[in-house]
Amino acid sequence: MAELKASFINEIEKVYKKKKALLIIILSIFAIVIGQLVVFGFRFSMGSRGTDRTEFPLLILSMFANTILPLFTILVSIDIFAGEFSQNTMKVVLIRPASRIKLFTSKIAAIVFFIMVNLLVVMVLSIIGGILFNPGAVTFTKVFRVILSYLVTVFPMTAAALMIVFLANLLKSGTTTFFICIIILVVSKFLELAFGSFKILFITSMFSWYSHWMADKLQASVLSQEFLIMIALSLMFFTAGFYLFDKKDI
Amino acid sequence: MILKVNVKCLSRNIQINSKGIQMQPILEIKGLSKLYKNGRGIKDINLFLNKGDIYGFLGSNGAGKSTAMKIMTGLMKADSGDVIIFGHSVMSEYEKAMRNVGCIIETAESYSSLTAYENLRQISRYYSDIDIKRIEEVLDITGILKYKNEIVRNFSLGMKQRLGIASAILSKPKLIILDEPLNGLDVEGMVSMRNLFKRLSEEETTTFFISSHLIHDVELTCNRVGIIHEGKLISEDYTVDILENHSTLENYFISEVDSNGRA
Repeated sequence: MAELKASFINEIEKVYKKKKALLIIILSIFAIVIGQLVVFGFRFSMGSRGTDRTEFPLLILSMFANTILPLFTILVSIDIFAGEFSQNTMKVVLIRPASRIKLFTSKIAAIVFFIMVNLLVVMVLSIIGGILFNPGAVTFTKVFRVILSYLVTVFPMTAAALMIVFLANLLKSGTTTFFICIIILVVSKFLELAFGSFKILFITSMFSWYSHWMADKLQASVLSQEFLIMIALSLMFFTAGFYLFDKKDI
Repeated sequence: MILKVNVKCLSRNIQINSKGIQMQPILEIKGLSKLYKNGRGIKDINLFLNKGDIYGFLGSNGAGKSTAMKIMTGLMKADSGDVIIFGHSVMSEYEKAMRNVGCIIETAESYSSLTAYENLRQISRYYSDIDIKRIEEVLDITGILKYKNEIVRNFSLGMKQRLGIASAILSKPKLIILDEPLNGLDVEGMVSMRNLFKRLSEEETTTFFISSHLIHDVELTCNRVGIIHEGKLISEDYTVDILENHSTLENYFISEVDSNGRA
């Protein structure tokens, strides 16, 4: 466990020092500002009510979970795997007294940690933005729904991160991995829209998993069905990703 | 005290102490083979290192030195054979085998966005007994203490190499595996590092496995020498014995490679 903890802290420090995480946080704040301006625009030009205080964070999440968050996940995952292989720094950790399964697991844990931090920052800022600039009542139930929706979004993002990690270990170049991931996400989104009845098969549809948790009456079958698919995908990509990571000669 | 009998036991992999007890080698390579698709690689390498040895691993470009060292440190998988370090197989008990090993393989890599201190701090987290004092001590030993808070991206090749050596000795390992450790160092740096290796071997009985193109340095540093040619370990002897029969290690290397080439 000591090696796992050491490797996890190291991964966090490396990504943090590269300032990419900071860049994404700035982008996230930018997205919240844009979201708020769009809401203002609708309210004044069309005379509509816009969103209320607790709907605003959910509006931001729907936009954020399909754009900036997957992009951030791709960048961090590539940096932690393909980036280290291409810069030849992977051997710095591989020659330490830690098994490859521990190193692989700690890297995945670091990616999930950054996804959670990014979600937390956006959630807090969007709640503050919602309260400051939008009308409506704030109740504990509504705030709880917002927190829950952000929390459950960690699951589909982790499944996506494991797919990206698998690709980063399969393809040697970080640039190639980046473009392949973007193509997969775009095609998946297109297929999801084109074949709505089969959308459960496409990974991008899971980014909206939180919306099922917002329904007035929770549909346990839908929730569990998508959750099981996410778990299955995660296990499959974790295993395949680790197989490639373990077999890789430096 | 190690008896002189060791000199005669090179191929038999036996070390006997003053009480006549057979000792376990620090590192043992057994029938190690790895072939690439182009036919190059290493074939049936067998060798061992005793405590306190400074073993020089010589070979031409593409002879298989780096391949052997990568397999020894778990960076590469062998087709067959095994590497035993401190009685543990690198293939099946990696953590135990590498617990007391420090190394530089091919190039001394470090994280360019971190400072020298942060790079060593990263490594220190894998060990329980490394504190700030020890990090500063190795930075001082390798002559880069004054640059400890500088980002590695701005380091010269020589400074990166010194940081690599600092990383390798940080945990006070009992076995240090170094691939071209003097790359990029100036004359002063070479002499200083050579003295460091000798001091660690004499005072702390640290065992070294060093590959280098700089034969003169190997002659001055190593007490044992092995020559690898076209993937095979063709010769192995003590430096003292080699220099009894050859004027320089370079002559020995050339004659061994030539005679093997003719064979």
